[in-house]
Amino acid sequence: MNSPVSPATPPPAVVATALAKSYPRGREVVFALREVSFEIHAGEFVAIVGASGSGKTTLLNLLGCMDTPTSGKLQLDGRDVARLSESERTRLRRDRLGFVFQHFGLVPTLSVAENVALPTLFSRRPDPERVQFLLERVGLSGRRNHRPHELSGGEMQRAAIARALINRPLMLLADEPTGNLDSQTGAAILDLFRELNAEGLTLVVVTHNPALADDAQRRLTLRDGSIVPAER
Amino acid sequence: MKLSWLSLALKEGQRRPVRTLITVAGIAVAVAALASLLAFQRGYQNGLSAELDRLGAHVLVVPKGCPFDAASIALHGANWPCYLRASYLDEVRAVPGVATAAPALMAAFPKSDGAQTVVVGITPEFLALKPGWRIQGKFPSASDEILAGAEVARVRGWNVGESVRIDELPGQRRVSGVMDSTGGSDDAFIFLPLASAQHDLRHEATLTHILVRLRDPAQLDDAVARLRGCNAGMDMNIVPLTHLFRTIQGMVGSTSLWLACVATVALLAAAAGVSNAILMAIAERTREIGVMRALGASPGDVFRLIWIETLLVCLAGSLLGLLAAGIASRGIESWLRDRLPFAPDDTLVRLEPAVALMCLGGAILLGSLAGFLPAWRAARLTPRDALRNPSGA
Repeated sequence: MNSPVSPATPPPAVVATALAKSYPRGREVVFALREVSFEIHAGEFVAIVGASGSGKTTLLNLLGCMDTPTSGKLQLDGRDVARLSESERTRLRRDRLGFVFQHFGLVPTLSVAENVALPTLFSRRPDPERVQFLLERVGLSGRRNHRPHELSGGEMQRAAIARALINRPLMLLADEPTGNLDSQTGAAILDLFRELNAEGLTLVVVTHNPALADDAQRRLTLRDGSIVPAER
Repeated sequence: MKLSWLSLALKEGQRRPVRTLITVAGIAVAVAALASLLAFQRGYQNGLSAELDRLGAHVLVVPKGCPFDAASIALHGANWPCYLRASYLDEVRAVPGVATAAPALMAAFPKSDGAQTVVVGITPEFLALKPGWRIQGKFPSASDEILAGAEVARVRGWNVGESVRIDELPGQRRVSGVMDSTGGSDDAFIFLPLASAQHDLRHEATLTHILVRLRDPAQLDDAVARLRGCNAGMDMNIVPLTHLFRTIQGMVGSTSLWLACVATVALLAAAAGVSNAILMAIAERTREIGVMRALGASPGDVFRLIWIETLLVCLAGSLLGLLAAGIASRGIESWLRDRLPFAPDDTLVRLEPAVALMCLGGAILLGSLAGFLPAWRAARLTPRDALRNPSGA
């Protein structure tokens, strides 16, 4: 376990118990995660760090219900992910989680506003006011009708963050959110994360960016699929 | 634009406009070919049927020769290469089952501008075959009287009671009647009493053809056998018009069937093209699909999106194809008229709403099938695998 929980701390948003993931590769079996256990509490800002191939993205995929563990147990918001059907996992991703990707993942044929509104198409809950609110929140209201290719990298990532927040998630999962940005733009994204976390949003960020990792309240360091004891 | 499944799919078509246009064009060409073919088949069938109704006869009696030429000449007006003896008429009338036998002597006089003046000598028995004729004035009875078809009267400015001159016939003629339009070749004919025609055309006691109406059309085969068996039977060609038209339709139908097979293959190839284009698009967008799945799109949502995209391509191609078929129909009609052995007067290529709907429905059904595989494959992608794919956004 790697969580400083006090009696006053609210119940954990994430509880991972002996979580393992392995893949067959030819005749071999690759162990991407080896029985990791940890908790993440609501409102925490956690950075997952480690060398390439250490299992960071695998862990993020499991936390995002985009993959299922080979063994162990993962509870999200009190629910055992292994017991959820495909449609329940989809609903969990849609309603409780927000995703931010290194390559932004914006749909190039849609405008910024449409990209932000995209998850509401899947949830069947259109909310143009919230789209406008989030565009203003990330400073892109003047760019709402622009296409992604007309934006800078920082603007694209801010649009992606607005999109991740559209369905009011409980937890934001970000995979190398500053990986494609210069340091100044990366710092602006970090400021935005800090603000969101200050407003109570749980943040789990996979990163190689030391500034981002340093800014997190807690760091989960992975090495060869296992969690290295806490450094701070 | 408000974000919807439709707008999302429509915008996807703009990602690779050239590929989208080529795919749409493939469908359009196939649909245009199929629609034109169906429109022709329907137009030709209706035209033959209307022609038969207008003719009002069940059997055409003509001199020996090609029955197709005979039918074409009797229906559309032309010079007859040989003649029947007028005395055969009594033998035809004597055959049991014959209700009316209307004799005719036809002559056509080509003009320098490509048009022709067609005069037809007839008797009042002709009226029994033409219940649809509406005559302003009266049927010609005196030797100098004529009945003008609607088109002839319009072009030449003739009115009932007017005294006129026909260059190809001697003397003055009086227009005893003008016909309302029949929609057929009769509109272009000048009718006069048979005896006058025989005299003025110098073909005394001869006929070009006899139109026969039977008491019971169901007894056509028996009546034809009896007509062929009469004394003059050896010198006459007895042409059962229903059979003739069926044969003509069969000949044209065989060619149409072959062309329909080609058009269907083209449509299947176009559908395969659509399927391939959508599969390529999915391969390029795999990571984007992964992002959508991560954002909460269900497999059903992904299936729906890809399926709508395919349907839109097929719908656009179908509408474009139908538009092209509609625009090209006049040209196709003119081209076909120059080549068909027998073409009815009515519109040959008739793109009716039923044909258009059939083509549209067929293309959409085919599009649905073409879109099924790509949509199913895209829906089966797990978010993890889709996001790991190196291609795409």
